[in-house]
Amino acid sequence: MIYLDNSATTRTLDIAADTAAQYMKADFFNPAAAYSAAVEVERNINSARARLANAIHAQSDEIIYTSGGTESNNTAIFGALRARRGGGRIIVGATEHPSVYEAAMSMKGPYVINEARVDKTGAYDVNMLAQSIANDVAFVSVMQVNNETGAINDIPAIYKAVKQRAPMAIMHVDGVQGFLKVPFDARYCDMYSISGHKFHAPKGVGALYVKRGTRFAGGQIGGGQERNLRSGTTNTPGIMGMDAAIGYYAENIDNIRQRLMNMKLRLASNLTSISDTFINGPAPELGAPHILNVSFLGVRGEVLLHALEEKGIYVSTGSACSAHKKGKNRILNAMGVVGDRQEGAIRFSLSMFNTIEEMDIAAEEIAAQLAFLRRFKRR
Amino acid sequence: MEQVLLIRYDEIHLKGLNRPFFERKLIEGIKHSLSGLNATVHKEQGRIFVYGIAAEDRDEAVDRLTRVFGVHSISPAVGVEKDWNTIVAAARDITEKAIGSRERATFKCFCRRSDKGFFMNSEEINRELGHEMLEAFPNLSVDIREPEIKLCVEIREMAFIYAQEIMGAGGMPTGTAGLATLLISGGIDSPVAGYMMARRGLELTAVHFYSYPYTSERARDKVVDLAKIVSRYSGPIKLHLVPFTEIQLAIYEKCPPKETTVLMRRLMMKIAQLWAEKDGARALITGEALGQVASQTLESLCVTDDAVTMPVFRPLIGFDKNDIVAIAKKIDTFNTSILPYEDCCTVFVPQHPVTKPEVQKMRESEALVDFSEMIQRAIENTETVTAI
Repeated sequence: MIYLDNSATTRTLDIAADTAAQYMKADFFNPAAAYSAAVEVERNINSARARLANAIHAQSDEIIYTSGGTESNNTAIFGALRARRGGGRIIVGATEHPSVYEAAMSMKGPYVINEARVDKTGAYDVNMLAQSIANDVAFVSVMQVNNETGAINDIPAIYKAVKQRAPMAIMHVDGVQGFLKVPFDARYCDMYSISGHKFHAPKGVGALYVKRGTRFAGGQIGGGQERNLRSGTTNTPGIMGMDAAIGYYAENIDNIRQRLMNMKLRLASNLTSISDTFINGPAPELGAPHILNVSFLGVRGEVLLHALEEKGIYVSTGSACSAHKKGKNRILNAMGVVGDRQEGAIRFSLSMFNTIEEMDIAAEEIAAQLAFLRRFKRR
Repeated sequence: MEQVLLIRYDEIHLKGLNRPFFERKLIEGIKHSLSGLNATVHKEQGRIFVYGIAAEDRDEAVDRLTRVFGVHSISPAVGVEKDWNTIVAAARDITEKAIGSRERATFKCFCRRSDKGFFMNSEEINRELGHEMLEAFPNLSVDIREPEIKLCVEIREMAFIYAQEIMGAGGMPTGTAGLATLLISGGIDSPVAGYMMARRGLELTAVHFYSYPYTSERARDKVVDLAKIVSRYSGPIKLHLVPFTEIQLAIYEKCPPKETTVLMRRLMMKIAQLWAEKDGARALITGEALGQVASQTLESLCVTDDAVTMPVFRPLIGFDKNDIVAIAKKIDTFNTSILPYEDCCTVFVPQHPVTKPEVQKMRESEALVDFSEMIQRAIENTETVTAI
């Protein structure tokens, strides 16, 4: 199997799975309990929190554990808006994940929603975005890395523009695809979402960074966990499993990023040697090291996907969250990738478990499948 | 006092000597639909009575009965002794429930008396009972033409009283019309076509074509799910999943590009007919509607009909898409049908298919390839599942 759909989800690292199992089987105590075994678990959660904060140059008390990317994104938007009065404008990127985009759209009425436009690589046009910001903007949400094309947004520039033109506005960054893959500094946002299963941690765990001083009403209500900002029994297996994955990255970070980029460049150069093939998004060396989006003209993405599936190669035709929805791809539409180029678009997303040889095998198989499938293309 | 469900049936009363057969099939269908609810089912004089349903299962039983073909309508009723005071008391209870929270309501009484030995005739019962209700409920008034509440009394071996009539699915009891084979695609139309013909009393088998490996496993599961939904009405459906890729690719490579769609349909019809023969079915069913797409023009339908000898039922032929969608929503197949997976018809579609193919020309195009062995392989590699 050659798994090239790591933006959908990743295989859990052994050390992360083992750690999670340890907190289910042995150290299963509720960290809120009074006895010392539980206190020990609480201490470990606190160390995990510190390590996560450190990965984005933040402080422990700015990290709230959640169930994953969707909850983090939802909570960021609703928790911030619930803490303020009156209306105003929300600016949301046109290519945002539905957990951001639809959440923002649901605030239509009390708020006016503006979409931030992207250029043809999938990155936000910082000048245009800056010009659209005025004092009536309450909330801005943009993604760090475009999940379809790997385009990296200039978050520091956007943050500066937001704070200059609308000092009271809160800026949220969806870091689900970017965290650990691309450097990030929490100085340049007020809120930042991460999701464990995108970087080899278990599913069902994530976190939301909320900068000190940000007015924020929190998420689910109950027993007062997470400094009363997100109640619910602490997900110790998930959090400690995620911590193990973060630890692994921390030790190997430069090496991982370099390997990903090498593999991506190899795949890109292999694929662009096939006729009628176009890269969607930024030049490969400028994008995130793990995402490559390519259009193969003359074949439907889903047909190629299943042809590759039969050969044990797993890719995607769009983010998995939208693969069940009818209609065109909103994100590629926003980038101006339409018609045949959209229909034949495939996203390859890599992880550290991939190898350079796999990039060659995958490209060869794609070339072979295309040679066959294009014989039956629409005539 | 006893809780019963009173079932009226459709059309069967038009039948002559074979009426007992239709009634027996209807009762089978009713019993089958109520399995697990501890029901006993009796037929008497143009009605079917269901006894023994626990109060908490009543809504579920009624819901299931609305899906049984041949049922015209269902009335939850109480059965009481034929004693006047008892009848009046029961009628009061039912009327009170029917009025509910309304401030005012109009009503009429409607009596049928098949026990002619009862001491009042229907007209007298209507009058007396109406009087009792007006006395008991000052907010009631009589409206003979369009009453909000129709208080019904049937005098049989007991007196049955009810004020509610829930429409059933109509049609003919399942299994009274024989067996036919549905070509099911995963779209909106074909499950509706299956439903429509099952409603006329047909039992179904089904054939689905898929293009492994180019169509998703989910597309397959979707068709199985659709067949399961249709089977709630029609009874179990034997579903044949036929691999079609080899034939499809041969058509694409060797036959004129504009004719691929209509040729594909001819081949599908042939294979469907082979399965129908194996299943003992006597007709094919498709979801085609005249003019909906290129392969559903009159000329194209002639060409597909020409591929088979069995009658082809097209219950949707005169329907607009909106009509079909409305039925799909009613029978609950719509939300499954619109799941967006490529199916074998969309994998490789020509941009401008021929809309007015000629039978002779299509026979010639089809003869460009010897499909017989491919058809044989498709049949051999078919997976058959039963959708219940």
